[in-house]
Amino acid sequence: MISPMPYSALVTFFLNLLSAFVALLTSYYAYKVNRLVSNSVLRAISIGFMLLGLGLLVDAGTSIISGRTLVESFSDKVLTLFASATYLTLQMIAYLVIAVGYARAAYGGRIRPAMPVALAGSALVGLYSYSVLSYLVAFVLLAFVVFQGMLLRSGEKSRMSGMVLLGFILILAAHFILLVSVLLLGADLFLIGTMVQFLGFLSLLVFVIGSEVVGPG
Amino acid sequence: MAQGEKQRSVLRISLDILNAVRDEGDAKPTHILYKANLSHERLVKYLDDLTTKGLIEMQQDGENRTYRLTPKGVSFIIEMRRAESFVQGFGLNI
Repeated sequence: MISPMPYSALVTFFLNLLSAFVALLTSYYAYKVNRLVSNSVLRAISIGFMLLGLGLLVDAGTSIISGRTLVESFSDKVLTLFASATYLTLQMIAYLVIAVGYARAAYGGRIRPAMPVALAGSALVGLYSYSVLSYLVAFVLLAFVVFQGMLLRSGEKSRMSGMVLLGFILILAAHFILLVSVLLLGADLFLIGTMVQFLGFLSLLVFVIGSEVVGPG
Repeated sequence: MAQGEKQRSVLRISLDILNAVRDEGDAKPTHILYKANLSHERLVKYLDDLTTKGLIEMQQDGENRTYRLTPKGVSFIIEMRRAESFVQGFGLNI
């Protein structure tokens, strides 16, 4: 029997869907600009945001399945677990790719991303542990991206350049809230975290639109 | 990384030359040389390259040689300004 979808699941679905749209749009623009300027960090940003967008789409789908059915049947449980694990994995890889891109820009080609192997192994210890670990890893990687973004900010800034950093800071804050919500199993906190993450993507959307309307100087 | 930096610097120099040509209208090589801060040898190489790509065109009037932007060159500058704005947002430079 299908139960009515809870309000929180519906909100999570739409916020994740919109965040996915912004992530994929950012990925597309980074790809387009990278074709002009050929920059390794932009390539990483393009790939990272594409993975993030795909992950958010999977997560949006998961919230619909779990929200509509309250995960009553075994097949829905398996599907939800699989989708959650997929989302968390894609998210970690996405932030890892972006962080490695920034690290290579800051420290040259000396960085070797050995983390994915360790993360793949941790998937076996269960989805809860995996969730905690993935949000923790995503939080650490995002903190690194924000730190590098601050360091690499050039002296000559565009009108909208602060929006990207603000976006990353909001997504970082969201992951802290999401991590706490997973630890405390708080549904309200999870919703707040999703909302803050959406605000981060909204900031990126403002930047992407803003950088498109730059006219001739 | 080294290759990326080399490509970026080539792009930056090309953009500086195009901006110099745009600012002057019909730009003499000496003016471009001064504004883009290049040696004569490198400037000739870049001007040939930009002419071949159809971003600038040469006007020859007796001894005088000037360069002006083509419509493709104007579009390229606008596109690069957008790209630069995007790249700077992520704390990078072209």
